[in-house]
Amino acid sequence: MNEHRRQILQMLSEGKISADEAERLIAAMEQPTASASSDASSTAAGKPRPKYLRVVVDSEDDGGHEGPTKVNVRVPMQLLRAGVRLAGLIPAPALHRANDAMQQQGFPIDLSQIKPENLEELVEHLNDLTVDVDQKDANTKVKVRVFCE
Amino acid sequence: MIPFVAIISLRNQESRTFRLWIPLVLIWLLLLPLALLLSPFIFIACLFCRVNPFRGVAVMWQIMNALTDTNIEVEHRAAGMSFHIL
Repeated sequence: MNEHRRQILQMLSEGKISADEAERLIAAMEQPTASASSDASSTAAGKPRPKYLRVVVDSEDDGGHEGPTKVNVRVPMQLLRAGVRLAGLIPAPALHRANDAMQQQGFPIDLSQIKPENLEELVEHLNDLTVDVDQKDANTKVKVRVFCE
Repeated sequence: MIPFVAIISLRNQESRTFRLWIPLVLIWLLLLPLALLLSPFIFIACLFCRVNPFRGVAVMWQIMNALTDTNIEVEHRAAGMSFHIL
């Protein structure tokens, strides 16, 4: 890059180009760098990639003697990725049995569809996941939050 | 990076906190010869289950690395527990 600039300045000193032309050439030379750096800053300024999956359970006991209970779980997203990769290692007969068991429990999820190639996409979609559950009955009030941070 | 230390904190009703630092590095060092000894059996077991043993080992390694920064806390009026892997 400096070499190009030097060449332009040399051409200017030799009188091959005018000062205006040299300025335009230098500006044109710097343009791709500026756009590249603006792209990088926009990525950095955008939503940062979450690192953790958080599960927060807040249970308030209104009338009993149990008192409030708080559960705070922070799992690295990397662990989820590795876990999904581990699911990819399950042999086919075991997968069929697991699928059948899950279907019997009311979860029609086909684990054989989890493949390494769509693994990243799967975890990326978890980034936008937020689950808020509020339950309130006579004695207790439970709040569950699942989100990525 | 593999986890080095696990910290378990337990709090009882009298608000006494017991903190236990488990040096995982030492455990890994102790388990390494055992893993080497068992590796032929693990290899055969993987082949028997039709699992690529190298992929299996790679995934287990990734899981072990990913455990770093895992944090679990349970707080109750009577007791509390926290588990942190560093």
